[in-house]
Amino acid sequence: MIEITRAPPYLTVQDAGRKHSRWSGVPQGGAMDFTAMCAANAIAGNSLNAAALEWALGGGSIRFDRDCVFAIAGATVRATLAGQAVAPCTTTYARTGDELTVEQIITGRFLYLAVAGGIDVPPLLGSRSTYLPGHFGGYGGRMLKSADSVALDAPPAALPAAGFHCAAELMPRYDTGIVHVTRGTQEDLFDERAWRVLTESEYRVSNASDRTGYKLDGPALGNSIGTLPSEAGCPGAIQVPGDGLPIALMADAPTVGGYPKIAVVSAADLPILAQRRPGETIRFELITIEQSQRALKRRGSDLETIAKLAGRSS
Amino acid sequence: MTALPAPRAHPLGDSAVTIAFGTERNAELLNRIHETARALRAARLPHVDDIVPAYLALTVFYDPLQASYEEMAKALVQACDRAAHAPVRAAQPREHRIPVTYDGVDLEAVSSSTGLSVDDIIARHTARAYSVDLLGFVPGWAYLSELDPALHLPRRAQPRPRVAAGSVAIAAAQTGVYPLDTPGGWHIIGNTKTVMFDPMRDSPALLAPGDTVRFERVR
Repeated sequence: MIEITRAPPYLTVQDAGRKHSRWSGVPQGGAMDFTAMCAANAIAGNSLNAAALEWALGGGSIRFDRDCVFAIAGATVRATLAGQAVAPCTTTYARTGDELTVEQIITGRFLYLAVAGGIDVPPLLGSRSTYLPGHFGGYGGRMLKSADSVALDAPPAALPAAGFHCAAELMPRYDTGIVHVTRGTQEDLFDERAWRVLTESEYRVSNASDRTGYKLDGPALGNSIGTLPSEAGCPGAIQVPGDGLPIALMADAPTVGGYPKIAVVSAADLPILAQRRPGETIRFELITIEQSQRALKRRGSDLETIAKLAGRSS
Repeated sequence: MTALPAPRAHPLGDSAVTIAFGTERNAELLNRIHETARALRAARLPHVDDIVPAYLALTVFYDPLQASYEEMAKALVQACDRAAHAPVRAAQPREHRIPVTYDGVDLEAVSSSTGLSVDDIIARHTARAYSVDLLGFVPGWAYLSELDPALHLPRRAQPRPRVAAGSVAIAAAQTGVYPLDTPGGWHIIGNTKTVMFDPMRDSPALLAPGDTVRFERVR
């Protein structure tokens, strides 16, 4: 059990999301930075897709009501456990009663806490992730509040050694701000100029950015099409509404929409975009579907490597 | 029988294929897409996570660690082709009856915009069988077509920040039932106690693409 002693403004239970219910209008959801969540799980000794806690804004304190092994990953924060600094991407042992305190996020946006065993909330539609707009999933379909007690599953028998640390080269390069994209389903509705603009300009994440989507500020892309009959979108799809300013769909985006999609963010790079805060910039680089799938496989094998190294440390 | 244009596959990122069946939105095309989606579901192709039918296309989500785009696109176009020639009617579309209390907050406004009496609005809304075009917007929301032309109105200029679950509403050529409390811009003409979406149910969404719906007046 862990107890929220001082709730941060935006704390939810997330996992890999719902992959089989889009047909009924249920968004994929799940961790905004899926890679960081998986890495935190591996470093805490969990399977990669175990449910974890996601902070969107830092802050708050959590008390461990039993001896626990945990890891934090994703956004960089100053965090302390019983007064001692907690290193990111590092296996950390907490004693019963220890309090983890998270301060303001320094860089990035979404922070993950994985605790050995994983967060134990009932799965709904194949996932433990919280879908706030639908008030379901996660912890009663809502953000965690002070005094909430969150159950944990039994930890695995073998746990990584205290101080196990994941090498930075196994994690995404968040600092470059380069986000790879593939051509979208309506690519032929945009002319070469729109493509040049998209791939040669800097785009700034606007204040209108949340788990549903990131509206991007920068040169307009000239949508002369308006809207089309609705069809499926996906997290990472870059849609262009009438004003020409692109919106990148994120985890909780509706399953279908009518704006033409010029491009789709490579799944391996979606965490890089997710971790950009309002005001921060990104650049898009075009790659092929084959390259995008290779990058995703590489990301998967890096996460397996982290899990293997963590396992070997025990 | 006229030759149907061959479906064309496009990647939707590295984890989905969108298969376009045409460029003109119409009931015949939509029906073909729904039938193909049911056939694909019944075919249980490997590595497929989800199938989302829509107006001009259906989108298949797959596991990119198990199959490449090329493999999936080829297998899916072939499967669509097979479905077109030997339709598999694995899961028949269902018919639903939804009881409605016609006391929506916009009923009077709809009456003055359309020039129809409230009774006439209700008679027209309950007279037809609607088909489920598409699910989306929020979990369990179904776009139902086609509304009596006399009831066609543009969406409200100012969407409401919160529309209660169970609200029965109309906009343009469609009608629908809000499955959750959400913001919404459609004209609310009534309410139903039927639960359109419940994540705890085996099949959370009451309606599936291609199903038909009739509304029944309750007083």
